[in-house]
Amino acid sequence: MDMTPMIDVVFQLIIFFVVTLKMTTDVNPDIILEDGKHGVTITQDKTPPTTLEIELDRKGRISIHNATLSEGQLREILRARVNRIGREFPVLIRADRRTQHEKVKRIMDICTGPGVGIWKLSFVAVQEHKAHRAGN
Amino acid sequence: MAYIRKRVRGEHPKLDMTPMIDVVFQLLIFFVVTLKQEDILSKLSAARPAPDPNAKPEKQLETINIIVAPQGFLLNGRPMRKEELDRQIGQFAAISTTAMVVVRCTADSPHAFLVQALDICNKHKMVNLSIFSM
Repeated sequence: MDMTPMIDVVFQLIIFFVVTLKMTTDVNPDIILEDGKHGVTITQDKTPPTTLEIELDRKGRISIHNATLSEGQLREILRARVNRIGREFPVLIRADRRTQHEKVKRIMDICTGPGVGIWKLSFVAVQEHKAHRAGN
Repeated sequence: MAYIRKRVRGEHPKLDMTPMIDVVFQLLIFFVVTLKQEDILSKLSAARPAPDPNAKPEKQLETINIIVAPQGFLLNGRPMRKEELDRQIGQFAAISTTAMVVVRCTADSPHAFLVQALDICNKHKMVNLSIFSM
């Protein structure tokens, strides 16, 4: 039996999976987002490179790219960014659906606070589920 | 040496493919199992205006006030469920989509309710959304 076509197909599949596999995640995997079917779809090509995504987990831990920050550090990052590129960059808040508003308020207060002054904020939600949900 | 020479001179030398196919299938199964599709995400935008001490009372009449509480929603002071809020905002949107919608969140309300309220406003194309914290 000629095995060559099968081996070709199998290698093609392996190359596809190797290329598409993402071994490490750059967002906090513990955050469960609320559904938001009617929001503006977030796509890689339409998201400006200056976008800052702030993560907030259920317990109120603040992070950017899964690196934990204190409120003071977040404030300094935002101030430095405003000084460098101005206030026109989009801020996305990726907050866990179970977290209380007082924790979200802390991030919003930093964004609108002195030295930063970003008044337009966006919240990340799930438009369409593709991955299995971890649970509520 | 005699053995090697004998094998090389053989008319149909065959390469055993079985171990390679085994390994390749193992890899394939691993990648299929670990592949994880990502959710499609959306963003719900709103402004967080500074409290304006000079706000005029007639301006405030045009606002739609949604209070987000741990138990649910209050629209202009009336408690209601998400479905009812959706219906009511739809009625407001039929009149004007530029009316100011003020979403006030209590400290202990879950973030999910704020997102739900913003999602309903986006559904009905309300454009002036503000968030206040209580």
